[in-house]
Formats: sequence, C-alpha cells, structure tokens
Amino acid sequence: MRPFKYTHVNTVQSATQLVSTHSNAKFLAGGTNILDLMKEDVERPDELLDITFLKVADIKMITEGPNKGGVSLGALSNNTETANHELIRLNHPLLTQAILAGASAQIRNMATNGGNLMQRTRCPYFYDVDMPCNKRVPGSGCGAMEGINRMHAIFGWSSKCIAVYPSDMAVALAVLDATVQVANSKGQQRRIAFTDFHRLPGENPEKDNNLLPGELITAIELPPNKFASHSYYLKVRDRASYAFALVSVAAGLELNGNNIVQAKIALGGVAHKPWRALRAEELLKGKEATEANFQAAAEAEMNQAKPLEYNRFKVELGKRAIVRALDMAMNNGSK
Amino acid sequence: MEANKLTGTPVDRIDGLLKVTGKATYATDYPVKNMAYAYLFKSTIAAGTITKIDSTEALKVPGVLSVITHLNAPKLNEKGGLRGGALLQGPDIEFYGQHIGIVVAETFEQARHASRLVKVEYHKSEAKVDFEKLKKDAVPSKNEDLKRGDVDAVFNQADFAIDELYATPIEHHHPMEPHATIAVWEGEKVTLYNGSQIINGAQSSAANTLNIKSENVRIVSPHIGGGFGSKGGQWANLVLAAVAAKMISRPVHLALSRQQMFNSVGLRQHNDQRIRLAADKDGKLLALAHQTTTHCAINDEFVEPCGDCSKVMYEVPNSLISYRVIPMNIIIPTYTRGPGKSTGSFALESAIDELAFKLKMDPIDFRLKNEPAKDPSNGKPWSSRKLVECLKEGAKAFGWDKRSAQPGVTQLGDYLIGYGVACGTYPARQRDSSAIIKLIRTGNKVKAIVEQAAADLGTGTYTILTQTAADGLGLPISQVQVTIGDSDLPPAAGSVGSVGAASYANAVNEACEKITNELLAKSGKQFFVRPTAAQLMLSEGIDAFQTRMDAKSPEGADAYSAHSFNANFAEVWVNRSTGMTTVKRFLAVTAAGKILNPKTARSQIIGGNIWGIGMALTEESIIDPRWGNFITRSLADYHVPANLDIGDMETIFIRENDIIPNKMGIKGIGEVGIVGVAAAVANAIFNATGKRIRHLPITPDKLI
Repeated sequence: MRPFKYTHVNTVQSATQLVSTHSNAKFLAGGTNILDLMKEDVERPDELLDITFLKVADIKMITEGPNKGGVSLGALSNNTETANHELIRLNHPLLTQAILAGASAQIRNMATNGGNLMQRTRCPYFYDVDMPCNKRVPGSGCGAMEGINRMHAIFGWSSKCIAVYPSDMAVALAVLDATVQVANSKGQQRRIAFTDFHRLPGENPEKDNNLLPGELITAIELPPNKFASHSYYLKVRDRASYAFALVSVAAGLELNGNNIVQAKIALGGVAHKPWRALRAEELLKGKEATEANFQAAAEAEMNQAKPLEYNRFKVELGKRAIVRALDMAMNNGSK
Repeated sequence: MEANKLTGTPVDRIDGLLKVTGKATYATDYPVKNMAYAYLFKSTIAAGTITKIDSTEALKVPGVLSVITHLNAPKLNEKGGLRGGALLQGPDIEFYGQHIGIVVAETFEQARHASRLVKVEYHKSEAKVDFEKLKKDAVPSKNEDLKRGDVDAVFNQADFAIDELYATPIEHHHPMEPHATIAVWEGEKVTLYNGSQIINGAQSSAANTLNIKSENVRIVSPHIGGGFGSKGGQWANLVLAAVAAKMISRPVHLALSRQQMFNSVGLRQHNDQRIRLAADKDGKLLALAHQTTTHCAINDEFVEPCGDCSKVMYEVPNSLISYRVIPMNIIIPTYTRGPGKSTGSFALESAIDELAFKLKMDPIDFRLKNEPAKDPSNGKPWSSRKLVECLKEGAKAFGWDKRSAQPGVTQLGDYLIGYGVACGTYPARQRDSSAIIKLIRTGNKVKAIVEQAAADLGTGTYTILTQTAADGLGLPISQVQVTIGDSDLPPAAGSVGSVGAASYANAVNEACEKITNELLAKSGKQFFVRPTAAQLMLSEGIDAFQTRMDAKSPEGADAYSAHSFNANFAEVWVNRSTGMTTVKRFLAVTAAGKILNPKTARSQIIGGNIWGIGMALTEESIIDPRWGNFITRSLADYHVPANLDIGDMETIFIRENDIIPNKMGIKGIGEVGIVGVAAAVANAIFNATGKRIRHLPITPDKLI
C-alpha cells in the first residue's frame, strides 16, 4: 500500500478538525473495509485518523427528543455488540437479524456501526484498479454496465454507475426510520434521515452518501416502532454466510388484527442505496395481510425494476423474497 | 501385517499441536536474516507484446532495491519443467495477469506500492478469451478418441436414451497458504523454502530452469498449507524468487497475494461435456459417449481427463471418449483435486440419474444392473471393486428407502427435500519412493528416525508414516520421528494423484522389514519368534544402525485394474421461495483399500466432499470476455463453502484387503473424496424440485 501517516485522535472535535484541514485524510475505525481498499490501491489516503477511542460507543435508550423511547447506537460500537444488545434484540430484532446476516463473525467483531454505513460497494470493477470505474475514477467509464453485472442494481442506477450498496444493516435501518447523527469541525451537530443518508449514483457515483466534507458520524438513532414482533430480514445469497445479497428484504408489519396499518419494506442488493419499496408499502396500507396482497404488492414494486443483462433473475427473486419476508414477518420469523 | 497395532487406528495427528500453536513452519515462516521482499506485477492485456516498461517512478520509492523485467532478467531454461514456463523471458503476453516483472524492496509494502508505479505499454493483439464464442472452433486434443463398438448406431435405435450437455465452470484451488517462496543463495547453492507437493520435482524443475545442477538446489517444505494440485507442478514464483535473490545478492521473500492466485498457479478448466447414454428397456446400458470440449493455454495443452470415470464405471458394449480443445489466452489449466474425475463424474453420474428416471428405475438398481465384471476399458481383472457394497451399505445407512422416486413431492414448510446418489472412482497406484531408517539406542530405549522426501499437505503423511514405522519396528509412537519435506532426504513420489500414502508407507514399511532382517543377520542368531528391530537393538546392544530402502510397486500389479470406488448420498433442502439450497446430510461410502488412520482419512474424505459440494453449489471463477480478466478476485467473490453451508457429514469405509496394487493394500484417498459428489448434490436437487440443472454451480437464480 501507499505510504501514509497514522494519527491517533482523542476527541470528535479534533477528529473533525484534522479531517477538514488535512485534505487527503480518512477516518479509521474497525478498518474492515478501508484497509482492504488501501491494499488494493483503491483508497489512497495519505493519512489515517484512528478514531477507535472516541467516546461515541454507547448503546443506550433515548430519553428525550423526537426519538424518545428509541435506542441510540454509538458510531463506534461494533456490529456484534449492537446485534446482541438486549435493547436491540427486544425492540429492534430486525436489526439483529440484518447485522447477523452480514459478513462473518470475525468481521462483525471489528466492524463499527458508523463504518458499516461508510463501507463502499463490492462491485468487482470498483475493486480492481486496472478496470474502468466512474466511482473510483470519475469519467473513466463503468466496467460493469456492459460487463458481468449479475450482482448489480436493478433500481435507481444511472448510465454512470450500476453498483449496489453492500450493507445488510443499512437495509434494516431504512425500515426502522433511523436517523444518522453527525458532527462537524465547528462543533455543530446535524441529523440526517437514514433514507437520505445514502444516495443514488446519478452523475456523481463517486459520492456514496450525503455527508459533507469534515463530517463524522457519531450515532445512529432508532425511534420506537410498532412492528418488533412482526418483522423479518431475509437475505438471498450464493452461500449461507460471508456472501453479499443477491436480493435481501427487510420487512416490518404494523398490524391491527389481521389488517396492515403500515408496512415497511426495504430491499438490499438492488440499488446504490437501501431501496425502500414505497409502492409496495402504499399498496399494503390498510389491506388484509394475505398472501395475495403480499404478492400484488411485490409485483407492483418489482415491475418497476430495470434489470441488466446478467441480473434479470433479481426481478423474480425480488418478488419471491418480498412475499416470503412478509410471510415470515407475519408469523414472527417461524414458518 | 497381522501384528499391526497402530496402523488402522485413529492416532491423533502428529503435527496437530505444531499447527494449532502456530509453530509449524510454512514457506515464509523461516527467520532468514537480511531478507528483501519481492512483489510480482502483471500484464493488463490478454494477448500481445510489451513495447515499453518504465520503472523510473518505482525505483524512486524508498526501500526499492531492484525492478526485474524481461529487459534485465537472466536467461532461463523455458523448458525446465515449470508449469506455465519460466516467465520474464520476453515481451510476449499470453494471458491477462501474466507476471511481467518483480519489484524487490526492503519491505513487502514498499515492493507492492512500487509495483503499481511501473508504467507498461503494450502492442495489443486480439485475445481468445470467450469460450462460448470459440467453442465451435475446438480442435482434437492430443488424447486420441477411444472407441469401442458403434455408439451412434446403437444410440439411434435404443429404447431409452439421453443426450445432454453438462457444463462445469473454471475453478481455482485456493489453498489457505498462497504460493510463496524464500530463496537463499550460498555460493552456487540455493535453498528454496517453498510448499511443494512433489519435493524432487520442485528441485529438478528449479535446477533445470536456473540452468544449475540439481544438487545445488535444496527444497525445504516440511509443512504445506494445502495445494490441491496447484503445488504439484511448480510455477514461476519458485524460480523468480531465486532469480531476484541472485540479482540483489540477498535472500528474497516472494509471496503471492490472494488476488494473484487467480492468474499464477493454474486452474481447473471449464468443461462442456456432452453425454449420450442409451439403455434397453430392462436397464442394460448399450452405449455411452462422453465428449468433452475445453480450453488450454495458447501454446500448451493440458486437458483434464473428464472421460476417465466413464471408462471404468459401467458395463457398456459401445463407448466413445473424446476431447476437443481450444487454445485460449487464459493461464494453463492444471491438476485440480480429482482431475477429470470430479468434473467428469458430474456429467456421467447426472446422466445415469436422468436415464434411471426415464427408465423408472431406482438409480441404485440401475447402477447395480450395469456392474462390470472386469475393467471394460482394457479387459483387465479388477484388483478389487466394492462399488456394490458402497451402494448397498450406503443405502442402508442413509435411509435411501425413504426417498420418493417422484421428484418435487417431499415438502417441509417452505422447503423441498430431495435425496441423491452418485458414484466415483480413482485409480490406485504406487510410485517409486525411498526411505532411510535410523535406529539409535540410548540405554534401554530405542528411537527411530524415518527420512523421506515425502510431502504432507495437511493430509496426515507425518501421522501415517509414524504409525507405519512404529508398527514395523516395534516401537511406540513417541519413539518415532518422521522427517520429510526436504530434497536432501531420500527421494520420494509426490503427494499427487492419490499416490502419496501408498508410495510413502510401503517404502517405510519395507525399510522396516529390511532393517529388521539386517539386524537379524548381524546378530547371527536364530529366533523362535521373529523379534522386532527395537528388540534386536536392545538384545544385541547396538548403539546405532541404519538402512535405506528403494521401494517399487509390486511386479504384476499392472496386470490388474486397481481403483478405489465410492457412493455418495446427499439430502438437500431447497427453499421454494429463494432457490437457496442446503445440503443437510452427506454420506460418502468409500472402498479405498487399507485405511491407515480412520481419523485423518475421514478428514481427507469430508474435505473432498465439501469441495464437491462447493463445486455443485457455489464455486465459479468468472472471466470478463472484454479483457480476459477474472472478475472474481478474492474469497469474497469466489465462494468456497462456509461452515454454515455444510450440514452433517458422515463417512463410512468399506473394508478391503487388496494387496495386488501394493503390499500394504493402500489405495489412496486424496482424490476419491471429491469424485461423484457434485452429481449426488445435483441429483438430490432434481429429486427435491424436479429441476435438472446441468450447468454448475447451482446458485439460487437457477432454481427459481
């Protein structure tokens, strides 16, 4: 890897100040993605700011503000402890399932919650510096567009980029109406609705998310939800662990008897960000929770997809996965 | 052999403690002083020539000692025996990822960083990398067509027939230890620390390529972190480390990255296998044609023998085995676990299952009906063949009678459940190997040192040789020290082609007999009961004694056809919604002669089974035909099975006492464990879903 400077930072303030003033510095937390990318010469920071010991690692109940009664996840608590925390297991089991469906046990032990949101696509053309990639080198072209795009997007892609966001955790956060709390070098805090955190590629695929320069994620807040007992994360993949989703579905059903008050559905493995299935959600609102209604909602959502040469299967797989995830959510994960 | 106490018992792995405590020395674990680090860099075109290499920027990187390319590399012998040639001998590019240079630096990181600053210009020519487009132009391979009877005539008139194409993708070996070498020169002699399945082969190919005498090359390879064929023939990394070390006059460490493993050490080629199979209405096979189309290097042919199983598995009067090949701009394929048999058995044993279904016969009964009395390919008698026992014992142990003959009807919740069976075989051979046994007496204790240039890939060679020597000399395990993996030791066969155990253990066993005979002669006494070598050392008060045995396979072994056989049983659960498949249970029943150690043997077999499950469900290396590069570049993209993919694994060995292929009756188990596995899984998926998938791997998208 390229030579780089390693700097240990102790406060959020100094971290954000250093990253603002040192033009090519990046944060280092669990390092499960950035170090791989540096070894591959994809990321080329000349300085790593190690934020591992910043005091933003607590998982706690939120006692005031708009998310009162919800849970705040420290940006630096790791994926394993988050998934297994009793507040999460009890009140947000969907998040537990999603995190545990991702990566491997070893990676989850190292990976942080903030880092999970900052990880980069696993598109093989992005990862290989000898291939064209607009995300890595703007203007160099998209290797995947006419290439082997089996793993790529079917929603929201642009002529510049068809990459998908790889996180499982993020798909659940999209359904849980999370907000991302960030800090900047001036000591200001800002909250970003989770569904606005990541972005579609458009003309600027090099930008994965809407963070501003110098900002650092400090926490992820989850408001209370009414579907903890009717939620499910389904991940369809090529092997049972340590494989990215072909399609994944996070589903939560707020029910009144057998009637759906509100359905929340997000898809992973299909777009540059977790894809909220708003059309399906809208169709299910106020409807009875039946297989036929699930099917109709899934069809309506997936029929909007624009598949590519090698990923047409994702349309049918997406339909099936939505129906199955809703079924499982109805039956609280056992069917 | 009657007195054996230790061979045949599940002795714990001798090298287990070393490995779990991190003390086993793999290729780059040697604390060599003053070592520099080399990093290879690659071609980014698949065909053409290099027109310019500019190393200026790379040489400016602090710590960089040298950049070696074809412009300044020494002349090497291109036909010295390295697979894929010597490299850095000219500007020609034959495949994407071909190594075109080495950066040597004080640290690994410096070398890798500088390697990316070398600027290379090419003259590009049209690359042949798209198998699907090129396959119509395949040419006959060096393997001549094998014909018996007239397949075409019989096939066209048969009551029941199938004609299908089965495709298997490119696979990579991916041992846990990527290929790596440390080269240390002392005068004219070079020591190469390098994982080698064939110690003496590595020595001679390094010497020949470097144009030096064999005795000036020492290979040190006491532990190997897996190889699966990719460390059989040696690749350029072995010699390039020596070249770099010579050029900078320092020891050099050269390790491949996981990404480089895709383009450096061979692969299992893509095979399109057309099978035609015909039977009469009673289920007697009439014709079998197994025609393989595959690819090889642009200037060198290697074809894995996919038709091998079809030669020996079933009694069939009309047969055709053929190979067609396309020279392509892809790295040369090489031996990969169960070469030809694992992929070939997927085609053959799927086809058998398909025809049995057409015949409305149980696939086990169909196989039993076509059991050959002698080897149908050459008429030789079997040394032993217990395929029938494998099938019958397996059916009983697995609960085959619970299988529904009708596919797609066994359900549990959202899962479709199916059972599948498929068979496999692998030849049994003993190769020339020598061994030295040294006995040392200290007081009333005798210790033995066994020396042999054998290889242990992690398979259990240390353990079985310790058991064999302990039995042969009358010593406990603790008094036997096995020293292997060094070309300074007596020459031995490679741990390849399932010949390791038979070749090594027979040599050690014969050396034990020889040393006992020599001690008896030395004593000049007659004994009522034959004493052991250990007893003789004590009774005769001998302090040190040694002998060497050069063992060969028994005369007359060639008159027989010697093979191991297996029957594999799989239970799969296929999720109806998602198409995800889980192998819930797998049983391999194997008849492979004498099993020296049931514990290490079981590990060998389930290791093969798991790779076979990977072949069936997950493993595939994918090329982008626009560049000829692999887009699967890491173990995150190339899916070997993970723990969660594997359910209950059961192993049964059928007892065999067959001393025709070798005196100890060992048939070898390195390969047979993977043969027939993929077909068993695919057949189970058919039984579960009614879907016949003939193109591996069977990923979820193929089942929805």
